[in-house]
Order: sequence, then structure tokens, then C-alpha cells
Amino acid sequence: MSKLLSNGQPQIGEVRAVGIVKRFPGVLANDHVDFDVKAGEIHALLGENGAGKSTLMRQLYGLYQPDEGKILIDGVEHRFHSPKDAIRAGIGMIHQHFMLVPELTVVENVALGLKSSRGFVLDLDVVEKRVCALAEQYGLKIDPKASVWQLAVGEQQRVEIIKALYRGAAVLILDEPTAVLTPQEVDDLFVTLRQMAAEGHALVFISHKLHEVLAISDRVTVLRDGRVVGKRPTQGATKEELAQMMVGRPVILQYDMPPLQCGDTLLKIEDLFVQGDRGVDAVAGLSLELHAGEILGLAGVSGNGQRELAQALTGLRPVRKGRVLLHDKDVTNASPSERMALGLSYIPEERMKEGAIRDFSVADNIILQDHHKPPYVRSIFFDFKAIKNDAKRLVEAFNVKTPTLDTPIKNLSGGNIQKLIMGRELWRRPSVLIAAQPTRGVDIGASEYIHQQLLGQRNGATTVESSVVQRRTPTQAGMEMREMLEGRREQCLATLLISEDLDEIRALSDRIAVIYEGKIVGIVDRNEATVEQLGLMMAGVRKEEALGLKKSGDHSEKEPS
Amino acid sequence: MKRLLFQLSLVLVLVSLVVSGCAPAAAPATPAPAVENTVIVEVEKVVTATPAPVEEKAFRVALILPSTTKDSSFSQAMYDALVRLQEEMGKDKLEIAYSESMFKIPDAAAAIRDYASQGYNLVIAHGSQYGSSLAEIAPDFPTTAFAWGTTVNTFQSEGINNIFAYTGTSQFGGYVMGAVGAMLSKSKKVGICGPIETGDNRNYVKGVVQGVKDTNLGVTVTTIWTGSYSDVTAMATCAQTHIQDGADVLYGSSQSSTGAIAAAKENNVYWFGHQYDNIPLAPEVVVASQVYDFVPTLKDMIATIKAGVYGGKVYTLTLQNGGFEIRYNKNIEIPADVKAKADELLEKVKKGEIEIPLD
Amino acid sequence: MGDLFTLPVLLGIIYSGIRFATPYLFAAIGETFSQRSGVLNLGVDGMMLMGAYSGFFVAVKTNNLWLGLLAAALTGGLMGLLMAVISVTFQATQGISGIGLHILGLGLSTLLFTTTMGGVGTIGGFPPVRIPLLGEIPYIGDIFFNHNILVYFAFLLVPVSNWILYKTTFGLQVRAVGQSPEAADTLGVSVKGIRYITVTLGGILAGIAGASISIALINVFQENITNGMGFIAVALVYFGAWRPTGVLFGSLLFSFVNALQQWVQLKGIPIPAGMAVMLPYILTIVVLAFSSRRISKPAALTKKFERGES
Ligand SMILES: Nc1ncnc2c1ncn2[C@@H]1O[C@H](COP(=O)(O)OP(=O)(O)O)[C@@H](O)[C@H]1O
Ligand SMILES: [Mg+2]
Repeated sequence: MSKLLSNGQPQIGEVRAVGIVKRFPGVLANDHVDFDVKAGEIHALLGENGAGKSTLMRQLYGLYQPDEGKILIDGVEHRFHSPKDAIRAGIGMIHQHFMLVPELTVVENVALGLKSSRGFVLDLDVVEKRVCALAEQYGLKIDPKASVWQLAVGEQQRVEIIKALYRGAAVLILDEPTAVLTPQEVDDLFVTLRQMAAEGHALVFISHKLHEVLAISDRVTVLRDGRVVGKRPTQGATKEELAQMMVGRPVILQYDMPPLQCGDTLLKIEDLFVQGDRGVDAVAGLSLELHAGEILGLAGVSGNGQRELAQALTGLRPVRKGRVLLHDKDVTNASPSERMALGLSYIPEERMKEGAIRDFSVADNIILQDHHKPPYVRSIFFDFKAIKNDAKRLVEAFNVKTPTLDTPIKNLSGGNIQKLIMGRELWRRPSVLIAAQPTRGVDIGASEYIHQQLLGQRNGATTVESSVVQRRTPTQAGMEMREMLEGRREQCLATLLISEDLDEIRALSDRIAVIYEGKIVGIVDRNEATVEQLGLMMAGVRKEEALGLKKSGDHSEKEPS
Repeated sequence: MKRLLFQLSLVLVLVSLVVSGCAPAAAPATPAPAVENTVIVEVEKVVTATPAPVEEKAFRVALILPSTTKDSSFSQAMYDALVRLQEEMGKDKLEIAYSESMFKIPDAAAAIRDYASQGYNLVIAHGSQYGSSLAEIAPDFPTTAFAWGTTVNTFQSEGINNIFAYTGTSQFGGYVMGAVGAMLSKSKKVGICGPIETGDNRNYVKGVVQGVKDTNLGVTVTTIWTGSYSDVTAMATCAQTHIQDGADVLYGSSQSSTGAIAAAKENNVYWFGHQYDNIPLAPEVVVASQVYDFVPTLKDMIATIKAGVYGGKVYTLTLQNGGFEIRYNKNIEIPADVKAKADELLEKVKKGEIEIPLD
Repeated sequence: MGDLFTLPVLLGIIYSGIRFATPYLFAAIGETFSQRSGVLNLGVDGMMLMGAYSGFFVAVKTNNLWLGLLAAALTGGLMGLLMAVISVTFQATQGISGIGLHILGLGLSTLLFTTTMGGVGTIGGFPPVRIPLLGEIPYIGDIFFNHNILVYFAFLLVPVSNWILYKTTFGLQVRAVGQSPEAADTLGVSVKGIRYITVTLGGILAGIAGASISIALINVFQENITNGMGFIAVALVYFGAWRPTGVLFGSLLFSFVNALQQWVQLKGIPIPAGMAVMLPYILTIVVLAFSSRRISKPAALTKKFERGES
């Protein structure tokens, strides 16, 4: 019959989904979708957040059952009632959020759910041997005895791949596998994926990052609002073309950055030490200066102290040592509200925990910080009219899509919640803005909008004009908004943009600081470093060394550091 | 979906409430009813146990019990007394209602108020924890009589005239039994397991301790308090501890003392009970029990109320007035000299020749 | 004071400490399985009461302690199954359904007891069994190897459950389901199935815990005989950081201190009795307060699971 793969499984020639329809309450997640993937190819599935990519793949993996349509494997129809069925048929899936049990070891994670050769008793030694063999065959370096929580994200992903291979996957679905990786880890992953495809595995690669899709895939299928809107060989496709298919309109991929005009130091961090949740210093001796009018991007792999730094700067976490100066005032131990009074605003990383209250309405969330002040309060009572009024203006100005002002924000999409929080913070006319992961989990359209708002704040409202505000009819609120933004020109907002998305950092920042283990390893100017060099710095390599290395954009080669 | 499950669990709880609440509704509270009412939390714990075919006016008594009518202890002592009185007077003359397991004071207060507004002639709150609730409720029902114990406080000093109080001099029976135990002890060690060091239990323990000491036989006596009226396991460990320490005669009281009695039985050491007759629980080892008899007190209380006085009187149960009785186990043979000495001490106590300081 | 630190007192404390750790061990290890899989069952006390009652009733009526034990295990298992239906299938809030289960157990056991047995009574429980050879060792034999059979069972349960949790496929699935049910689900582990098994197992062990009180340790049954022991057992699971060995340590500590405070009173050490009886509880809280930092609680504890809700 068919050829055997390296993990001992027979090859699957083709998996084909035909006319898949999947509905969720109020959402048509997949609308007559046709999709197929063949042995030996990497097929990219591209689409914005909420386009229905994960839903489609979850049906191929038996996590959901299609409402209509069928799934054929080598021409034979299969019905999967649970992942068990899909696994048995040779399909493996690596989920957007890793499906690993952090407290268990690598081997235990692999063995979970499998029959043991000793019946009731675990045969971890047997599993370990095979894990090592597979790791060898596929070039996946891994310590089988380590607990998963100790592993770096890239290593965890390798565990996921091994898990799927161990279970006999001939087809492997990877749901946004690069979202959490450093550039180097992405390179490693791509090497593995190419090798697997060459072996005869069939691979589905889901992403919304255009350059990755162009770099790795043989074919692309684009989903929008649950429908297939494009399908073509990758060869010859351009970013612009794919982006337009994905969003449904032309998208600005490059932002103009007028040169800096202001320059006073507004925020100064001196040798800061902040303890993390586990009691060790998450921020350890960090110094930074933030100037008026600039966007300073803070790049780094998640968990290197970004969260603790943001919390310490905003007064949500105590500082162990060092100083924070805001407008030359020592605010190291000031409360969040004192800092707000000095012009600090914060767009938090965990929107639902720190930035907003899930069950509160849109309007209530808007007045969260200022609810005790006029115009929202008269004597001791809320002035609901004033509240509604302002809420309405903000929602319009920031293009927040919400059914009503009384809708609890948990019912809004991630992008709209983020626009709401950002609008609220900018509305306060801050002089210093800390934006932590402002576009994480937000789709391209909303990201684009948020990016332009940040840029607009940086140096007047130039870019705002060119995008969204222009597209909308200039309502009165819109006009007011513009006036407000224009008014910022003199004050020159200083923004600290904390993000794990290098593309975002590179697109928006005037300067880029790289954080590693709670310290700044180096600060580079906007165009001074390549992605690879930044990636090296994110892995702890000092700026001088990283920049001293080859400056080319060659993806596959790497120098040992 | 999620609602449903929540409702389901509620239904479960309700079912258990209904099951337990309905069963005894029609059962008369005559002796040995097979069906008992068990009432669980939150719901009205008011169960009228006697049908009410009242041609001539029956005297109606309601009873609030901290434990159950079958606790072989303080609560059962009162309940049994009422039932005996009812047998004597006739069911048409005395009507009884009761609420048991009223360990939560707010529940008890609600029940007290309920009975009062239903026109019961006498509402007995059988526990020293119910005092403040009574003081609050009684003034609202001036023609209803209330009683509580063990205490000497009728709240008359606060201008309330419809509360009776009852107390017992349990120390004197304790004294006699203390002496008997000391004389029976071969290891010269006796142990006491008390629940909480207050009221009736405290007095009783004082009596036992002095009774042991006054024999001058060199017998040591030690006391462990469990800190709870209901912790059976603590009582069991208490007995065990005494036994390990070498005690061969044990004393104790409260509804949780069953744990200690079982331990005494298992280790074959003597046991002396208090408040209710412990002998049936372990006929092999229970030498004697000091037993409450509330019948004379109740009789007088009812007569007083019928005469138009609703409170203000303190009843003291004593060995002399029949409020207490020391009941011996006929299966256990006590040496004649010990028995003689016990009888002699009982006479002395009754004549008031023995002083037991309580402070 | 020096009187307290004598050999007989020490032996006494160890003996009762071991003996009265028994119900806590059964109940808390059962609860450990349940919580390890992500279900917080606060109804342990109710399950214990039903076990204590049915064990006592059946043992009295049949004159066979083993049948009593079996009845207790079955009743407890049924109560556990009920909890599983409510909290796993119908996904009721675990805390509330557990409290409901406790009320049900308390009410039903009292009702059944008063209707079927009338009043308080005692029974000859499981007798002490002296282990050959080991039981002959002076002192040691008396305090460690001369207990009733359920005491031995309880202590054997610790290594057995340790083995099940860490060395078997079932144990691996339990741990995974309690930490990340979604991950387990994607690997074809039946999250609900595992939870049904652990919660029912928790019920069986709680039932046996109840029987250990009514037909092995105290040999009486009466209303609410557990007096909240089931809640202590739940606390001991936290105390023991969800590990059988931790639970063993907690149960022993708790019952040792309990025994100790009685000896403190007995030896006339001048501490108010009220203070002494609070000692075990105070100690538990203190240890909890200081240990909570390193405790790794099952991440999915009290969380409902429905596929695709993430
Ligand atoms: N389990 C679910 N219940 C309800 N709606 C869902 C569920 N999963 C996905 N959706 C909705 O279906 C749509 C497609 O989601 P998804 O497949 O996750 O998109 P993508 O992976 O492309 O970002 C979204 O609108 C999402 O909110
Ligand atoms: Mg997705």
C-alpha cells in the first residue's frame, strides 16, 4: 500500500473537507468551506481572528462535528466523534494554545491518554525510548524528563509535535504555531516543518502573518467571515494581495514615521528591581528613559519581566529597589491615581483583569477611573446624562462597535474592547502612555486602527486622518476627536510600547529596547537592527555582539552566539 | 443548562427536607413513636405532634430542644418527662409540641416566637443559650408563660414577669457518685470527660471531684473538657486518654458522652452517667446515673400558670425534691460496704450536711 | 509540667494519634482523588454520615461488621455518584452542590437513624488485631501494631493511592484532568468519565471513613456523629498539598495535636481548656498560612468542563 513515514505510520495521500458548515449561537463560523491538504505539502490557512480557521480545523480533528458537509481521507468518508477518532485516522493537531499539562513531564504528556504496554501500570520508560527515537528522526531536541512548565515556548511546541507524531500523525495541523515564538524559534520550526513535508507528511499551517505564509507554504487558502475567499499556490503571491483578501479592503502595511520633534525626558527608570509572583526579581536592574514624542518599543520574549515592569510603572506592583521619575517627580511609591494625576495612562496586557470589568457596561467602563469626579458626579449622585454623553462621544470617536452603551463589555469582541480601553486612556489626555500588548488577540483591522492611533498620538494626528477617521463620515464627535489629537501636537505624548510581536514593534517604534531576564540588553534605533539581530538580543545576546553579526536577511543560517 | 443543575441540587435538598418534615406530621407524641421528626436547617422546625381534637381546653406546651428527643441526655430527659406527664394527665388535657436540633440560636428564637403566637400556654426553651432570645420575645406575649434552664435568671429584675427559670444542684449527686467511683477504683485513678465547663456540667464535675477527694483513699481525679456538646469523637478520645493514663472509673455528661461510654464498654472500665439514664447504653459497665426528673417541676409550673401567674419563679431540682434521682444498675454488684457508704452520703447530702463550693 | 513528657504519655499520644487519624485519612485521600481531577466536593461530611449510619445499621442488623463496611462503601459511593451527576454532568457550582450534599447526608442519616433504630446504641466494633512478630515488640508493638483492621487499611491506603496517582495510566489521567482538562480532552481522555470515577471513589472512601467511626473506632451512631470531620478532611487535602503523603502528614499532625491537648488537660498543665481544644485548629491554620505559597493547587479545581468552551 502507501509508503511508511518515519514515525512508522502509513502516509495519507489527501484529506479533503467538502462543504463544511458550522454554526455557533449567533455565528456562522464556517460557511460551505472546501479545503484539502495533500501528502508532501504545506498548506497555509490564512485569515483574521474570528475568520473560522480554528473552527474548521477542530472539525478535522474531531473536537467539533460539522453541521453540514463531510470529511474524506483518501476518498473515504470519515466521521469523527472525538479527537480519539481523528488520532486513530492519522490526524494530529497542535493547538493555538498549547494543549500540554504544565505540571507533568514531557514523557507523561506524551503518554497521557495512551494505552500502556503494561495495562493499568504506566510504561514511561518505554514511552521515553520512543520519544527519544522520534526526536532524533525529526531533529527535535528535547529533554524527556523535564516538566513542561520549565520549558521555553519553542520547546513546548516541540513536545506538541512529538506528541502528535507519537500518536501516528500522518497529517499535522498547526494552529498559529508561530504566534508565541521568537524569530529564531520560528526558523527552527520551519526547518522541522519542511523536513516533515519532505518525508511525506501533509501539513496545515494556520497564521495571520503574511511573511510567514509566504516563506513556508506551498499553497494558501484564505478564509474571511467563515467563507473561502481565495485559494492559490504561494508561488508568486504578494503580501498586499493576501492582506486585501484577508481583510476585504486595502490595508496599510507600512506606516510613515515623521521624524521626532520633541525630546524632553518624561519618564525615567533608574536601576529598577521588581519582584515577580514567585518571589524572585522579575525586573532586575532595569534603566530606561522615555522622551516626549517618541514611541519606545520594548521587545522581548514573554516572561522576561515585561508584565512586572508595566505593573511597577503604573503602581500596581511594589518596587523593591530603584526609582521611577515621572516629569522629574519621584513616583516610585506613588499610588496609581497619583500617577494618573501626573499624566500617566495605561493600556494593560490583561484587558479583562486590569483594564476593564467584564460585567460592567460600556459606559461604566469608560468612567471607571473618573467616576468620582465631575462631570460624572454632582454632589454625591451620578450624572447619568453626562456619563452617557461622554461615553457616546468616545465610542463614536474610537469606532467601538457595540450594540448599546449598556451592553456588558464581555459581549464585545477583543478588538472592540481594546479600542474602548485605548480610547478611554487617550481621552484622558495623558503625557505618558504605557501600552502593554495593545494588539494581542486583536484582528488586523482593529490592530491597524490601534497602531494608527498610537502613531497619531506620537506626533499629532497625521496618520489618523489618512485611515479610519477619513473613512467614516465626520460626525461631530469625530471632529472633536481630531481637534483633541491635533491639540496633542505640542505636548508630544511619550509612549512605551511593550509587545512580544516584533512586527508590531518594528512598525511603530522610534527606538527599540530589548528586555531579557529583567534587564535591557540593548537599545537600537528603528532601522538599526534586522529581525534576526533583534531575535538574538531577545535571547540575551548583547547589542554589540548581535549587531556585529552578519546583517543579511538570510533566514536559514544562524551563527552560534 | 447551568440553571437546571443548580435547581436540581436544590430539589434534592428540598426533597430531603420534605421527606423528613412530612413523616411525623400526624404521628402522636405518645411514648415510643416509631417515627420521629428530624428537621433540617432553614425550614420551620415546628411540628405539632398531637392532633388537636380539643373539646375542653387542653394545656398546650411547646418545647425547644438543643439536641434530639432521643439523645439519651439533657434533651431527652425533658421530653420524656413531658410525655410521662401527658400519660398521667390524659392527652386531652395536655398537648405537646416540640422542635429539636435547635443548635442555632436564631432558629430557636424563630421557633419560640412561632409557638407563642400560636397560643401555646407554656414555651420551654431547654438550654442556657436561649436566655437572651426569651428576654426579647417574652414581653410581646404577656399571657404566654416561658421557661428556660438551667439558670436562675427569670428576668424579673428587668421587669419581665412571664419567664420561669429552672436549675439543678447536680453537684450533690455528683458528690455521691464520685465517692462510689473512688471506692470502686482499683487503680486509684478516676477520669472525667466534660463537654463545656459551664452551668450544670460544671457543677456536676465539681461535685464528682470533691466526692472522690473526700473519701481520702488517695484516689486521683482528672478532668478533660472536649469543648463541645456534640463532639462524640472527642469524648471517645477523652475516655481513651483517661484509660491510657490508668483510670478505671470514668464520668461524663452531655449527648456526646456516648462516645466515651462506648470506649468504657470496649475497655471494660466503670462509667457513671449524668442527666439521663445511661445504663441501657452499656449495661456491662455503667454503674449508676444521676437522672433528671422534670415531672414535679412541670407539674408545679402548669399549676402556677393555671392560677394566673406566668413566670418569675425559679425551680431548683434537687435530690430532696425528686428533681434528681441516682439510679443504680442492678446488673453490677457493688460491695455492700460501698453501697452502705453511698446511702449514708446520700442521706447527708439530703440533710444539707455537705458543702460543695462552686467557685 | 515535666509530667507531660513521660514515656507512657508519649506512647498514649502516638497510639491515639494513629488511631484517630483513620477517618481523616480515608476521607481526605478520597477527597484528594476528587480534587486532583478538578472537583471540589464539600459534601464529604454528609457522605461520611451516610456511611457511618449505613455501616452501623447493617452491622447491627446482620451482626456482620464486614457487611456493614460494604454497605457504608456502597452508600458513600452512591452519594459520590450523585455529586458527580450534579457537578460533572449538570455542572452545578461545586461549592454549593457540595454543601447541598452535606445537608442531604446530615438530614437523611438522622431521619433514617431515628426511624430505623430509635435511639442511641452501641455496637462491638472491629476488634484490635495484633500483627504477628511486629506486635510483640515492646512498646512499638502496642502503639503501632495493635489496632483494628480499618486503621491498617487507612495507612495502607497512602502508598496505594500514591502508586495509583503517580504510577498508573489512570493516575496520570486524573492529574491531567485536574490541571488542564482541555489538554486531556484533546488526547482523547474522557474528562467527565475520569471525574465520575474519582468523585465516586471519594464517596466510597468517605463512606468507609464514616464506618470507621461508627463500627471501628467509637462504635456508636447518633445524629451528626462526625461533627464536621468531613470539613476538616477537605482542609487536610489543601494542607497536604493534594498529595497522599501530605494528607498523611496533616492527618497525623492533626490527630496527634488533638491527643496532645487532652493530655495537657489531663496532666493539669495550666492552659485554659478552651485554648487547649482549639490547638489542633490553630495549628492547622498556621501551617496552612505558611505552606500555601508552595502549594500547587490543581489548576482546574472547581472549574466546569465543557468541550469547546475555552
Ligand atoms: N465554542 C464556540 N462557541 C461559540 N462561538 C465560537 C466558538 N468557537 C468559535 N466561535 C466563533 O466562531 C468564529 C470563528 O472562530 P475561530 O474559528 O476561532 O476563528 P479563528 O481561528 O479564525 O480566529 C468566531 O466568531 C468565534 O467567536
Ligand atoms: Mg484561531
